[in-house]
Amino acid sequence: MGLLRYTTYRFAQAIPVLIGISILTFVLANLTPGDPVRLMLQGVEADQEMIEQIEAQYGLDRPLYERYLDYMAGLVQGDMGHSFHRNRSVSELIASRIGPTLLLVLSAYAFALATSIPLGIIAAKRRNEPFDHVSRIVALIGVSTPSFWIGIMLILIFAVQLGWLPSAGLVYPWWSPETYGHDGYVEHFVETIRHLLLPMIALGTLQMATLMRVERTQMIESLQGEYVKLARAYGVPERTILRKHAFQVAQLPIITIVGLNLSTALGGAVLTEFVFNINGLGRLFYDAIVQLDYQVIMGITMIIATMFVIGVIITDIAYAYIDPRVTYGEAE
Amino acid sequence: MSSEPLLRVENLKTQFFTDTGTVRAVDGISFEVYEGEIVGLVGESGAGKSVASMSLLRLVENPGEIVGGEVTYKGETIFGLEEGPDGELRKRDDMLSNEEMRDRIRGNEIAVIFQDPMESLNPVFTVGGQLREFIELNRDLSREKAREEAVDMLREVGIPDPEERYEEYPHQFSGGMRQRVLIAMALACEPNLIIADEPTTALDVTVEGQIIDLVDDLQEKYGTSFIWVTHDLGVVAEICDRVNVMYLGEIVEQAPIDELFYDTKHPYTDALLDSIPRPDRTVGELDPIEGVMPEAISPPSGCRFHPRCPDAREVCRRVHPENRVVDTTESAEPHRAACVKHDAFDVGYDESPPLEKEPQVTSEPDADTEAGVTGPGPGPGPGTGTGTGTGPGSSGGGGEGSE
Ligand code: SF4
Repeated sequence: MGLLRYTTYRFAQAIPVLIGISILTFVLANLTPGDPVRLMLQGVEADQEMIEQIEAQYGLDRPLYERYLDYMAGLVQGDMGHSFHRNRSVSELIASRIGPTLLLVLSAYAFALATSIPLGIIAAKRRNEPFDHVSRIVALIGVSTPSFWIGIMLILIFAVQLGWLPSAGLVYPWWSPETYGHDGYVEHFVETIRHLLLPMIALGTLQMATLMRVERTQMIESLQGEYVKLARAYGVPERTILRKHAFQVAQLPIITIVGLNLSTALGGAVLTEFVFNINGLGRLFYDAIVQLDYQVIMGITMIIATMFVIGVIITDIAYAYIDPRVTYGEAE
Repeated sequence: MSSEPLLRVENLKTQFFTDTGTVRAVDGISFEVYEGEIVGLVGESGAGKSVASMSLLRLVENPGEIVGGEVTYKGETIFGLEEGPDGELRKRDDMLSNEEMRDRIRGNEIAVIFQDPMESLNPVFTVGGQLREFIELNRDLSREKAREEAVDMLREVGIPDPEERYEEYPHQFSGGMRQRVLIAMALACEPNLIIADEPTTALDVTVEGQIIDLVDDLQEKYGTSFIWVTHDLGVVAEICDRVNVMYLGEIVEQAPIDELFYDTKHPYTDALLDSIPRPDRTVGELDPIEGVMPEAISPPSGCRFHPRCPDAREVCRRVHPENRVVDTTESAEPHRAACVKHDAFDVGYDESPPLEKEPQVTSEPDADTEAGVTGPGPGPGPGTGTGTGTGPGSSGGGGEGSE
C-alpha cells in the first residue's frame, strides 16, 4: 500500500470512531439531569403550555433516536444545530471561537517540541551529569504540576509582580492591527507574542516535560545501539551521530506520543483559557455545560474529537513515513 | 618476519572499572599483524577478544579504559604511555589525537565488521545510503562517486540487483545479506586492516560458509589484512594464517595455523581443539571443555587456566606463566605458549605434584593458600565435597564451538 492509500484508509477508519463518539455524546448530553427549557426560561413566568410549545419548536418532544438522526443529517451538511441560549447557530459560534484555541494548542506544542527535544538530547548525552539531574527534576515537576496552577503562578510572577507580560486575553494575529490600535504589523506581532507567551508556557509545560523524558530515554537507548557503535568505528563525528544516526531512530516514539497527548492538551486548553480569560472553545464549552446548552456541547465535543482523531492520524502517517519498517497495514 | 608489521600490539591492558571491582578484560596481550595476512583471535566468550579489538580503535566504552601497553599502526602510535616528570604515567605526545583517530584511522585505515548484522545497520536509513555515507567520509569522494562505488561494492559482495537493493532498508535484507553489506562497508572504505568481530556467529552454517569463502576471495583480491575474532577454531582453520588463543584476558598460545593445530603447545588450545568437529575424529569423541571460564574480575592465581587444566600441577597455582617462545626449532616463526610444562619455563613442573581436581571456578582470591586441597591429599576421588564441584565428564557448560 502506498502512502496515499494508507492515508485514505486511515481517514476512512476514523469515520466509525467519530460516529461512535457522536452517539455517546448525544445520549450523555440528553441524559444529563436538568431541563434546558426551564433553565432557559428562568425568571420568566411560564406555564406548562409554553414549555411544551418551546419543546415542540426545538423538536425536543420527539424520541431520542429521531433527534439523533436529524442531528447527524444536519451535521454532514455542516449544520450543527442552534444554540438556545445565544440564539446563534452552533457552527457560527464554534467558528468564532476555534481560532484562539488552535493558536493556543499549536503554540503550546511548538514550545514543547522546541524545548523538549534539544533538552532531552543533551540530557541523554550528558547522562548522570549535573545537567541531566537538573533536567530530570524539572521534568518531574512539569509532569506532576497541573497546567492551571502553572498558569496562575506565571500570572502572579510575570504579570502581577514584574508587570512584564499581560495576564489576560489574546491578540489574534488574523485580525488587523487597527482593531487593537497597533502601530503596524511589527507591534501587532510583538503584542501577539506577548499575550501568547504565558498561556503557551502554562499549557505547554506538561507536554514539554513528558516529551523530554521520552526523548532522553529514547536517545540513551539509541546511542547504545550497535549502529551507533558501527558509525563510530567508521569515523563518523559524534555530532553527526547525535543529530542523524541516533536521532532519527529515537524520534519514532516521540511522534506517537505527540499524537496521543493531543487529548491532554485539548483538555488542558479549557482550563488554561479559563485562567487567562481567553475566549476560545474551552470557555464556550464551560459556559455551555453550565447552561445545559446541548447543541453547543455536542458541537464542541464533535469538533474536539475530530481534531484529536485527525491529530492521531497525522502522527500515524508521519510515523509510517519516517519508519521504513511500517508496511502500511499490508499484512491485514 | 623481517619487514615491519602493519599493526603491533604490545602488552595491551584494558580494564573496566565497575562497582564490584576492576575487570581486567585485556591483561597484557602482545601480537602483530603483517601486511596481507589473516590473524585469528580465538577464545571463549568473555576472554576479552572483543574488548581487545575495540581497544585497537580506541573505542572502548565506559567504564572501560585502556590502561597500559602500546599499539602502533604503520609506525603511528594509536596508544602509548610514558612516565611523566611526576612519575605518573601519561599519554605520549606522539599518540594520535581523538580527531586523528576519527578522521584518519577509523574506517580509512582500520575498518570493522561487527558480529550482529541484524542490529548493526540503522533501521531508518537505506542500506545504500549508509554505505555511501561511510565511503564519502572515508575516501573523500563526491556524493555521486560514492554512490557508484557503493553499488559496485554491493555487487562485489554478491548482492543481486545492487541498483535496486541500494534503495532498500535493512529489514528487507536477510541476515546473510546484511552481513554481506557490512563486509561491503568495510572493504569499500579501502582500509589496510579489517577487524572482523565474530562476523559469522549470528548466521547459520551454510551462510557462514558462504561468507567465509567470500572474505577469503576478497582478501586475496584486495590484499587487506584481517584480525578475525572468533570462538570457533573451525573457522580459524579455514582462513587464518596465524592464531592467537586468548584465555581470561591473556594470550596463551600464539602460532602459525598449522603448528597450532598439529603441534599444540597449550592445554587450553588442546581443549578447544577437542571441542570442535575435525575430519580426523568422529563426533562421538568430542569433549566439551570442562567447567566454565572464571570471571576476569578475580582471575585464579598462577596460571589462570589451572582450575580447568587436565595437566595442572601444584606449581601451576603459584607461577603465572607469560607467553613465551617454547619451540625454537626449524620453524621460521616462533611458537609461543604460556604454560609452565615447557622447558622454556624452568620452574620445576616435572617435579611438582599433580593437582587434585578442585571445585570449579571458585575464584577465591586466596586459592594459593592450598585451602582447597589440604584435605584429600593423595586421597581417593576428585570430589572434595565442595558443592559446585563438577565431576569429570559430567560437565558441558563450558563446551562450545560444537553446535
Ligand atoms: S601452566 Fe599448568 S595449569 Fe597452566 S596450562 Fe600449563 S599445565 Fe595447565
